Amino acid sequence: MSETLPSVYGGEILHVDLETGDNEIESIDPQDARRFLGGNGFVAKQVAEHVPVDADPFDPENVLALAVGPMNATPFQSTSRGVVGFVSPMTNGFFDSTFGGTLPQALKTTGFDGVVLHGAAEEHSYVVVDEDGAEVKSADGLEGTETYETCGEIRDREGVGYDTHVLANGPAGENQVRYACLVHESKLREGVAGRGGAGAVLGSKNVKAIAVQGGDFQPEPAGDLQGRAVQQMGRLMEETEMLQEYGTSGLVNPINEMGKLGHRNMQTEQADAEDAEAVSGETLYEEYVTEDTTCANCAVKCGKHVSVEAEGITEGKIPEFESLFGTATLQEVYDPERVIKANDLCDRLGMDTISWGVTVAFARECYEKGLLDDDDSPHLEFGDADGLVELARKTAEREGFGDDLAEGSFRLAESLDDEADRYLYGAKGLEFAAHSARGLKGMSIGYATATRGGSHHDTRPTLQYDGNHDETTKGTPEFAARTQHFTALGDSLTQCRFVSEAGWGARVNERYAEAISLATGWELSTEDVEAIGERIYNLERLINVARGVADRGTDTLPHRTMHEPIPDGPSEGMYCPPEELEGMLDEYYEFRGWNDNGHPTTDTVERLDLSDVAEHVAD
Amino acid sequence: MELELRYFAMIREAVGERTTTREFDSGTTVRDVLATLEDDHPDLEGTLLANDGAVARSITVLRNGTNVTHFEGGATELADGDTLSITPPVTGG
Repeated sequence: MSETLPSVYGGEILHVDLETGDNEIESIDPQDARRFLGGNGFVAKQVAEHVPVDADPFDPENVLALAVGPMNATPFQSTSRGVVGFVSPMTNGFFDSTFGGTLPQALKTTGFDGVVLHGAAEEHSYVVVDEDGAEVKSADGLEGTETYETCGEIRDREGVGYDTHVLANGPAGENQVRYACLVHESKLREGVAGRGGAGAVLGSKNVKAIAVQGGDFQPEPAGDLQGRAVQQMGRLMEETEMLQEYGTSGLVNPINEMGKLGHRNMQTEQADAEDAEAVSGETLYEEYVTEDTTCANCAVKCGKHVSVEAEGITEGKIPEFESLFGTATLQEVYDPERVIKANDLCDRLGMDTISWGVTVAFARECYEKGLLDDDDSPHLEFGDADGLVELARKTAEREGFGDDLAEGSFRLAESLDDEADRYLYGAKGLEFAAHSARGLKGMSIGYATATRGGSHHDTRPTLQYDGNHDETTKGTPEFAARTQHFTALGDSLTQCRFVSEAGWGARVNERYAEAISLATGWELSTEDVEAIGERIYNLERLINVARGVADRGTDTLPHRTMHEPIPDGPSEGMYCPPEELEGMLDEYYEFRGWNDNGHPTTDTVERLDLSDVAEHVAD
Repeated sequence: MELELRYFAMIREAVGERTTTREFDSGTTVRDVLATLEDDHPDLEGTLLANDGAVARSITVLRNGTNVTHFEGGATELADGDTLSITPPVTGG
């Protein structure tokens, strides 16, 4: 008897031809659900199957795939995220970017576990998805509109208010700023698919937004998932107290205290305590926070709104910790109101605050070292707060030097003297997030091997801050790989990382196996569910190997991380010299079952049941 | 001996100050300092130390910027001039 799909799945992937508007429905094979679970697993499979390995990220042959997981719209806490998968204009490799809010839950109730956009629309369009399928509609009049404005306008056009859940591009996406993001404004809070350039890819398809109207499908867990979820609530709420009150901005002061918070384009990793305090969660909470906001089905409420009268900001989204790193400490800009303004602008214009911030900080150091001058752009001195705001506008519009910033730091470096390479901070074309590549050994090997490049959601820093694999290389490659399994599993569940780490544990463990088994009816062990994460991570790697962007040569770190120890502060002397990285890569590849060049071996592909997909990727 | 104590987030709210400098006896441990703070500030009672006397999971304690898990945790003996930062759990963003 053939296996049936668990009733937590709607069971269908909706394919949309943007040129013709035609819909095609793919039934999800139960074996594929077991192999890839959902979310990033589903979108990686779509990218592997549909995007030719030589397609440029801006070619219509690239896809933009949106997926949810088996537990969206169930009682399992905070499985309310969605995943967007595509080939990234930053890395030219597979990329998955997640976002919260209400859209993913609405998508789940349509019965579609995923939507894949193919080709490009002939006219500027937006796509409306409901339980009957998708319609490609004219976005006439929405050219150049900001993200929140677009969400509101599409809600008005569809006529059902916040029951239309919108994920929108801003001007940056339309202008194909390579790190343009997608912004979802819902009744409950904002969500941002921030990294890798999802907005640029959607812009290249001539699509302004994806709008979802929920349906009647309700997932039915096989067992008492709600009862199991309730058991974790005490721990979850206790360990997220800081997030509940301050959001992620509460991390600024503690990580600065550790001397692991990038400052002045990573020249140092500790700001003066008073400077850090000025842009800390404590200050934002005290001076600017007006209310808590939340994703669907989440009690933590880590989202916050801020108002800054002098900047004309009312109920803006609070800058996240990563954004405060990118737009404040790296820039030496400690004026919280200007920083909030720059972040609000990035959200409205649709730009990743990490890649944009790191790129601007890189340009500031190039200016400081004489590789750029005032003829290139004003406002490039470290600490120039007004420049922060002006450069955001110019980048989104690709105006003047903004056109160079819009390409990201790696492409900007190619246009400058070779010396500029010394000031880059990223890997595989993607700028690093806030968690120190020098001060955390797990991040050194984690960033170097990340399928997304400089992402803090491949290898996770959380356990490292608690003293695990932060200062030692011993066992660290395996640690990094296994937290990559953890994040891949979490993104296939589409569970919020904060909730999973605090409430369920920051490593794959029996609690996850039990919950997934209760949801699906499958009897899965901890090893089984970790294998799902490992399989997805290897599939992502296989895509990148086939595209020629993943091998030992690209599994590397920037010059400063490998050659310049942290000069002072509590983490003084820490860095990851080339021979240390090489040793960790040897260990990492061996643990993974990859060859010396970092390619999964045939045995590994067979062990992980990826032969069919690997064969397709190689076509 | 003199210690500088730095408080963050909810701990700062409970203590009502950002930083204090206090005198402690020679040989004072991290656990002793946390117990003193729990005694002094009723809102902190039961939040800084676990039942077994270890540092509670709901906080992170840094000695001169280094997590005390790298020393001897709650049993870490402090020295004159040390700075102790008491923060919420530090996670990835």
